[in-house]
Amino acid sequence: MRIILVGYGVVGKGVTTILARRYAEKVKDYGFNPKIVAIADIDGAVIDPRGLSPEKLEALKQTRPISSDPEFGHPEMSALDVIESVEAEVVVEVTPVNIKNGEPALSHITKAFKTGKHVVTTNKGPLALAMPALTELADYNNVYLRFSGTVGGGTPMLEFAKRCLAGDRILAIRGILNGTTNYILTEMSQNRVTFQEALSNAQKLGYAEREPSMDIDGFDTACKVVILANWILNKKITLKDVDRTGIRDVSLQALDEASKRGNTIKLIGSIDGDRPTVKPTEIPKTNPLCVSGVLNAVTFSTEFAGEQTLVGRGAGGVETASAVLRDLLDIRHKLANRLLNNNSES
Amino acid sequence: MKLVMKFGGTSVGTGENIRYVADLVTKYAKKENRVAVVVSALAGVTNNLIEVACQAKKSDEKRIQTFTAELLKKHTEAISTAITSKQIQKEVTQIIEKTIAELEKVLTGICYVGELTPKSKDYVVSFGERLSAPIVWGAIKDLKFETQCFTGKEAGIVTDSNFGEADPLMNFTTHLIRERLSPLLEKGVIPVVTGFIAANQDGIVTTVGRGGSDYTATILGVALEVDEVWIWTDVDGIMTTDPKIVPSARMLPQLSYQEAAEMAIFGAKAMHPRALGPVIKENIPVRIRSIFHPENPGTLITKKANAKVTEAVKAVAMIKDVAMLNVNGAGMVGAPGSYAKVFDVLGKNNINVMMISTAASEANISMIIKRGLLGRAISNLEIALLERGGIVSEVSAEDDVAVIAVMGANMKGTLGVASRIFSTVAKNGINIRMIAQGSSELNISFVVKEKDGIAVVRAIHEEFNLDKI
Repeated sequence: MRIILVGYGVVGKGVTTILARRYAEKVKDYGFNPKIVAIADIDGAVIDPRGLSPEKLEALKQTRPISSDPEFGHPEMSALDVIESVEAEVVVEVTPVNIKNGEPALSHITKAFKTGKHVVTTNKGPLALAMPALTELADYNNVYLRFSGTVGGGTPMLEFAKRCLAGDRILAIRGILNGTTNYILTEMSQNRVTFQEALSNAQKLGYAEREPSMDIDGFDTACKVVILANWILNKKITLKDVDRTGIRDVSLQALDEASKRGNTIKLIGSIDGDRPTVKPTEIPKTNPLCVSGVLNAVTFSTEFAGEQTLVGRGAGGVETASAVLRDLLDIRHKLANRLLNNNSES
Repeated sequence: MKLVMKFGGTSVGTGENIRYVADLVTKYAKKENRVAVVVSALAGVTNNLIEVACQAKKSDEKRIQTFTAELLKKHTEAISTAITSKQIQKEVTQIIEKTIAELEKVLTGICYVGELTPKSKDYVVSFGERLSAPIVWGAIKDLKFETQCFTGKEAGIVTDSNFGEADPLMNFTTHLIRERLSPLLEKGVIPVVTGFIAANQDGIVTTVGRGGSDYTATILGVALEVDEVWIWTDVDGIMTTDPKIVPSARMLPQLSYQEAAEMAIFGAKAMHPRALGPVIKENIPVRIRSIFHPENPGTLITKKANAKVTEAVKAVAMIKDVAMLNVNGAGMVGAPGSYAKVFDVLGKNNINVMMISTAASEANISMIIKRGLLGRAISNLEIALLERGGIVSEVSAEDDVAVIAVMGANMKGTLGVASRIFSTVAKNGINIRMIAQGSSELNISFVVKEKDGIAVVRAIHEEFNLDKI
């Protein structure tokens, strides 16, 4: 399977690491032979139609910009050029998130669709803003759009709900979907530090961005709520449909009072019939959802199987890249069926 | 003799060449021959037309103006050297100007509508021949010969509506051509007909696609019941091999239709098999000859090959830009339908397989495909068939190979040809990667590393004494 990688940051590098590692095993155990035929980022591209070798991929991590590679570099080519002109089955879109207009990822994804390429993305921006539109476009162009890395990082939250709970009816989804805010709230309640101190700790540890609004104002969680609602509950909503409150106003006092009641405050994203919501919510410390540190957790309430909770690391380059690998395997499986059975159902 | 003569794009590439063509045509017409002429577009024009049509589709209106201006310049230049009489020059220039004005309108239309259907594309490319034929006509007229110019449609070539690759309704076409051209031919008038283009029964312009003007020539040849169809080209005829590889390559004086078709497939500079179709049925000989050496008789293509040839092998060719694709898997052994899966996947991805070989052990299939399609082929075969316990365990490829094709009708039934071919290759220390021979026995194809290709062609050329034909 030939892959175009668009975006070469933490996740992009994680993808190349994961695909190169235990390569022979993947071919043998899964019959899966991934080849990265191009990597495009903001400074240009590297292209090798035969597939970049693991050694080359390793060397490229130190090359800056990657398009300066003497053998395969194309400094003049934009990601859109690469998606349009390089032959491949799948585009892996892992550029930085933008929730204002979803760009450049949105253009990358639609260009891939138009040129008949499947898309795996970890980018929440385009999905949060235009998920119903994108899924329709993918169907229309007879290609697959996969994005399991957008929610739960390496933890297969989306697939768990879609596959493992197939047949059951999911009534509600509630979750701690953002590791940064969970780290800050955990710090505040366990070590009794102020919001500002906890935030700067998080920034020092690299859990929070220098511009932390995306996390602490609940945008990231809201994006994930949109994706869960669309993918699992078939609700055609976008980011503006989510009621959102961040954690800036959570005080130590409020945490103390909750603690007295055996509870704590978490930033919970929820969808349960009414308007999807993101807000700091008091929950019992005994609730399985109540995880600490950077962990994420999600609870699916189902009609028959009761409540199911999944806990795992919600971010990280390699963790998220593992979700990309899962998506690639899923697409491969579907394509194989399509090629052998002459059907194109998704 | 009654003849159809076809002149390709290089033969009518410049005004001087056109003048030369007119001289040649009239020289034969003088000698009690009846000649009908088929001409291609001026060299490069057809490709330019396709290009500008594609640009027009993207709404590039400015380009149309510059293009038509260049086109007009090119053709008026040709007129001024091909034709001496001012009167005829003026007459032809008027036709060219009128035709180019029409083209400009068509291109502008495409530009506004923003789409280029096979139908409109055929209309656009038809202008290449519509512009060249009047100049050839003018040049012949300039030499004081009676002549008349026709488009394929006017001549009476009627095709189906398969735009871009139309086939003639041969009986209807024959009927019309005999009505329109035969009387003229009998009177000694030289009809000049545009190659490549025709029309469907509703009069909409079509093109005959692969085979091009050669196809038009053979259609006319059959309809007019000529003695021979002459394809004038820039090579001496069909050669034993590419003279760039073996300088002592010889021209083949005679070939059968079957051999000629076989050689065309292998890239010998010859006729497309489609173009041979009409004459094979009516058994009309085709002669391929050089415009630069009209004294040479060229290669005559007839029903039966010359029986006097001593060697079974007549020609050897190298096909480059190919790749060898190997599909391996013990799971294929004795499993009915497993090959079908492999070819099905390739077919669904529009990949044409040029050559296949597989051993009776069944655990491996080797194929030759176009090199540019290799990535798609491997990727899709892996996606569909590579899995644990599946029929395919590995898909591998070599993209530095070339196919060597050895041909000759007399190879059929001749013992020891294969043995001579392969021991010649072995003597040169070259390894053969793959072998295939169809049951027609007209050719043996095998695969070697591309870097060895030239040496192999030379060795085989020598072994079968092809330089002494």
